[in-house]
Amino acid sequence: MKERAFSISPDIIPEKDVWFAMGYRDSVPEPRIRDMVNEVKDLLVPKAVLKYMYGEFEAEKISPREMLVAGKRFRPEGIICSYLQGMTHALVFVATAGREYDAAVKEMNAQGDIVQDFIADAIGTVLAEYAVSAIEEDYEGKYGISLPYSPGYCDWDIREQQILFSLFPVNPCGIVLSDSSLMSPEKSVSGFYALGETLVKQPYHCEICRNPGCYKRRTA
Amino acid sequence: MDNLYEAIFKGNAPAAKVSVQEALNASRTPQEIIDSSMIPAMEAIGAEFEAGRVFVPNLLLSARAMKVSLDILKPLMVAEQSASLGTVVIGTVKGDLHDIGKNLVASMLEGRGFKVINLGNDVSKERFVEEAAANDADLVCLSALLTTTMGYMKDVVDAVHGAGLRAKVMIGGAPVTAEFAEQIGADGYSSNANDAVALAKQLLS
Repeated sequence: MKERAFSISPDIIPEKDVWFAMGYRDSVPEPRIRDMVNEVKDLLVPKAVLKYMYGEFEAEKISPREMLVAGKRFRPEGIICSYLQGMTHALVFVATAGREYDAAVKEMNAQGDIVQDFIADAIGTVLAEYAVSAIEEDYEGKYGISLPYSPGYCDWDIREQQILFSLFPVNPCGIVLSDSSLMSPEKSVSGFYALGETLVKQPYHCEICRNPGCYKRRTA
Repeated sequence: MDNLYEAIFKGNAPAAKVSVQEALNASRTPQEIIDSSMIPAMEAIGAEFEAGRVFVPNLLLSARAMKVSLDILKPLMVAEQSASLGTVVIGTVKGDLHDIGKNLVASMLEGRGFKVINLGNDVSKERFVEEAAANDADLVCLSALLTTTMGYMKDVVDAVHGAGLRAKVMIGGAPVTAEFAEQIGADGYSSNANDAVALAKQLLS
């Protein structure tokens, strides 16, 4: 298992990613909201300590809806399995914006400002995803690598996080998984990257997904 | 369009505070101010959101301006003049710690004139029933973000209805659908905060 904890400068987090997480998609917020985003970002991001942990395991797609990773059977369903052609291994990961970020948000929101709270929530989402993308940058293996996939998205049952977490030491990166498959800190992500010599990275096919409310959705 | 309407519509809390005081100085009653300026402004920003011309932060800025205005007016209002459209008990169900969407709905409901009792997250069915009874609630609003916790909504719906309370139950959250609401016997479902206000009004009409 490889583990890392690191801090980043607010400048590294693209404003556009935060706007997207706030629901703007391709629109640009008005100036006062852009200013608020930057203020909250400058205040909170320096206090965050991002963390990730990952391990590389043998993996194979065993049916149009199922895969085996480290001998454990997962059912990520048809959308995700359609991307797994050529998978021979998987990088299974957890990543988080960290408890320090939660504490900073709590401190900022002592006054109960719902607008700041909303912006902080979006920034936390982007930070957690940044930590996930850092795993891909860190990976120096010999295989082709897919996009990351997570339980709870693309029809994959969120309860399979319980199996995924069984591949890690207890509370990896300080992340606690509840019986209802809720991760704490809330701004945490678990999932896997598929690996394979012949594996080709494919874009997410959001158009075939049945969850139009997904905040990650890239199509109308 | 008066200054207060504009301040709330534009989500300018400091301007709203000043305008409320001006309206009071002009001998308008708190109820008049709420009915003629504040509620229409919130309805207008809600309509803009529905039309896709503004985004969630605009709703929140307006709700925030509404709240600072109400904070000035509430102490001046005697009980029988209360502007409350009804009492709402709201919370995220047991096992789920997600707050943001539920708080958004709570702010919007408060902004439109409901009395809101926000129970926070990880709330048990017993607590929902207890608070709904203690506050003679008109509505109980349930939120869940996880597919693993949305099932608990049925337990809460059954508990509220089983306790013989008059409160109606509405539900929302990312994995929740209108079909699911129907299946579990909820009285209504809304997909976003603005829609939740319209549904709350409809359920109490």
